[in-house]
Amino acid sequence: MLLCDEYLTPASLDEAFAAMAARRGRYRLVAGATDTLPWAREGRAGDVAIPALIDVSRIPELTAREIDERRVRLGAATPMQRFLDDPALARAMPCMPRCAVWFADDQIRAQATIGGNVVNASPAADGTPPLLAHDAEVELAALRDGKVTRRRLRLDQFVIGPNKTALAEDEILVALDCAALPGYGGSFEKVGHRRSLVISLVCLAALVKLDAAGRRFADARLAIAGIGPRPLRLTEVEQFLRGTEVSAARLDAAAAMPVDLVASRTRQAYRRDVVRGFVMRALINAARRAGAPDEALAPELEAAYA
Amino acid sequence: MPELALEMTVNGRRVARKAAPWQRLMDFLRDDLHLTGTKEGCGAGECGTCSVFVDGVLVKSCLMPVAKAHGARIETVESLGRTELSLLQKAFHKAGASQCGYCIPGMVMAATAALRANPLAGREEIKERLGGNICRCTGYQKIIDAVEMARDIRSGRLPATALDEVETEDGRFIGANVRRLDAPSKVSGALKYAGDMTMPGMLHVQVLRSPHAHARIVALDTSAAEAMPGVEGVITCADVPGEDGFGVFVNDQPVLARGKVRYVGDAVAAVAAEDHLTAKRALAAIKVTYEPLPAVFDPEEALRPGAPVIHDYAPDNITKHIPIRVGDIAAGFAASDLIVEQTYTTQPIEHAYLEPEAGLAYVDHDGVVTIISPDQNITHHRHMLARILALPINKVRFIMSPVGGGFGGKEDMIYQGMLALLAIKTRRPVRLVFTREESIISTAKRHPSRTSYKMGLTRDGRIQAVELKMICDGGAYGLSTEGVMRKAAILGAGPYNVPNLNMDTYGVYTNNTPSGAFRSFGALQSQFATESHLDICAEKLGLDPFEIRRINAMRDGAMTHTRQKLRSVSLLAALEAAAQASGWQAGAPVSRGATRTDFAEEGVRPPCSLGTRFASPARQSEVA
Repeated sequence: MLLCDEYLTPASLDEAFAAMAARRGRYRLVAGATDTLPWAREGRAGDVAIPALIDVSRIPELTAREIDERRVRLGAATPMQRFLDDPALARAMPCMPRCAVWFADDQIRAQATIGGNVVNASPAADGTPPLLAHDAEVELAALRDGKVTRRRLRLDQFVIGPNKTALAEDEILVALDCAALPGYGGSFEKVGHRRSLVISLVCLAALVKLDAAGRRFADARLAIAGIGPRPLRLTEVEQFLRGTEVSAARLDAAAAMPVDLVASRTRQAYRRDVVRGFVMRALINAARRAGAPDEALAPELEAAYA
Repeated sequence: MPELALEMTVNGRRVARKAAPWQRLMDFLRDDLHLTGTKEGCGAGECGTCSVFVDGVLVKSCLMPVAKAHGARIETVESLGRTELSLLQKAFHKAGASQCGYCIPGMVMAATAALRANPLAGREEIKERLGGNICRCTGYQKIIDAVEMARDIRSGRLPATALDEVETEDGRFIGANVRRLDAPSKVSGALKYAGDMTMPGMLHVQVLRSPHAHARIVALDTSAAEAMPGVEGVITCADVPGEDGFGVFVNDQPVLARGKVRYVGDAVAAVAAEDHLTAKRALAAIKVTYEPLPAVFDPEEALRPGAPVIHDYAPDNITKHIPIRVGDIAAGFAASDLIVEQTYTTQPIEHAYLEPEAGLAYVDHDGVVTIISPDQNITHHRHMLARILALPINKVRFIMSPVGGGFGGKEDMIYQGMLALLAIKTRRPVRLVFTREESIISTAKRHPSRTSYKMGLTRDGRIQAVELKMICDGGAYGLSTEGVMRKAAILGAGPYNVPNLNMDTYGVYTNNTPSGAFRSFGALQSQFATESHLDICAEKLGLDPFEIRRINAMRDGAMTHTRQKLRSVSLLAALEAAAQASGWQAGAPVSRGATRTDFAEEGVRPPCSLGTRFASPARQSEVA
């Protein structure tokens, strides 16, 4: 069980920094707490006593969201369910609803936050691949010499290994700044032992924009998790697809490309099969949602993978 | 420790209370507000027995620190249908959606949330929205039926009379879909399971368990724990006044480890304290010195000469061997055209009933030691406990609390003895509630098995001889192993005529988690082997798998290999029904995988996926 002497719910960043400064080395930040509580159980960390839990989920800046034509600024404590409930967010980030529906379950998504998922830095984090595909940057804030200082990092520079991030001890992940990609088709493919409440064995996010005729990839973005120490953007596959016609042969060739990236500790052969199938299925699903005409997607591919 | 000052609205009532900062919303609701309709099934967000609404949004209260609920509006299952059952609760009652009932309050809450989100949700969307809630009894179909029924009544597609009890002809109930008498208490959350019960002056029990698979206990010092304020009693095997040892067939398991531990999770000592935390802290103060012993984790290794001995009474590590000999297998194999040999293995399986073990014990005014627990075998346990406590039988009483799922897993008296000893020692009521992890670590599993099969058949598919040897890992204690081996041997060759048979089933001691009773009680393991083997033989003989079974099927009047005469055998009818229901294409099983063509046919379910809600008309306006 998780024990603490204090549970603090600061109402502002300043309050949070004050609480942290007064308890250096004796606190842990929580947001949704949906992973922290199960973490402190037998089989994981066991019983854990932390002097202070500082809950950042009531800080207005961390739950705000701003959307314009180019960017989406997501407060780090945005609950995952928001991607299913907020149409403007779904429009700007087309693969996030698809990711969210596979994330834990409706009830946990109401509490679990996107920032918490990123900071956990699980090699199989569901939230990270779509964010990578949206060119996400993290915004980190700290109180140093009495002043709030902020810095930004690309998400792929922030998540540096299994459960490891570049977050400094005095920093709070405040927001995720992402590319707004309205008009893209989004998809999210996931496999685990069951549908709900399951850690991904592999998960993959895809975003596809087609040309006006719906025949060519104007843009394709893919990112994957569960196949190695940290989630990855599949840039080579993206380059291979950009500007090319949506065809069975092209998709087939693209799907074969990332297979050798599989560097998981277990079940590599299985994951290689999954990667190939997921790239194909994700691209087909995303292309269809981006408005590809029916005849552009070979029916045999649809039957086999979609 | 600074306390949180909390204010919230719970089921329409203003609540202003202090709470410990580490409490979860579930702890606060159950322990402080006595709202025990909210259950703890796993404590890790996996099962949904603790679902409650917070400001109208359904969450898992085991994953929510109570501080997050400050200022919020909470609705628990007790808020639904305060004067009469809600429509969904009535539909759960009508559809027979509750069995053990432990998941049902959470299920009703999730169903309520699903229909609030989309009053017209289809069956697939309902399943998706209930995805965070686990049920182990119903197979979900009746739960989903209930949600659909409530949806249709609300939308006017079904009349409200659909909820009414059916009229039975002449008071005959067989074949009639009657409402369960016990369902209202389950759908409303009113039913108290052992972990929901409290008594004045009640103490909280925690158990110290072995980290070793096999070790001698060199020293066991409980003095520091006993000296802690708030600790009212610590027990070890030294506190057992009578003849220690329990089991279903052989009394080989002490109430608390005596001299040595035999598996990781073996109970060594138990503490009763004023509160849960003090009891946990007292466990940490108990000093145990272990001398690790060689351990054995594979039953075949345990059978070899020189293997570590788990119990002195069984130097060969055999818990039970059941040999059955029929006819002459050498002659049978000689008369066979085809002999097929294969080995089959099955794994240990946890019952995973939603209600973890819990029990409450007290000594009443007449000195009767009373145990309330979800115990599947109270009469046998009463006799065993009387012997362990050296009390006459009329001074021991077992009360069976509602069983939140058992499936055989609650047939063993693994914790009731400790509760009795602590109630006697402290002279106060004591309660132990297992965590999910503790339940998985310490309680019985389905026997893992390894079955070597040799079958001889004629070219036209008639079985001539079977040689079957099944070795089961019984783990550290006997529990139900003997019975499981018997039933495996009785049913293992399947409902087929086998003229010549050698069958041996072995239950073997190892240092693994004990194996015990689990639905089908041994028949699953041996029949998995038999049915798999028949499929392989059918393929080799070019026969339809149904046909090979028909050829060998026992018929009315058959004599089984254990000489039981069967007056009526329904196998042929069952085969026919299975062939019909599955749309079976007759023929030898020669096409597989990618060459199969029947997967896209009507009635074949597509692979599991998620995202039905994106196609749902009611939500298309919400999400692009």
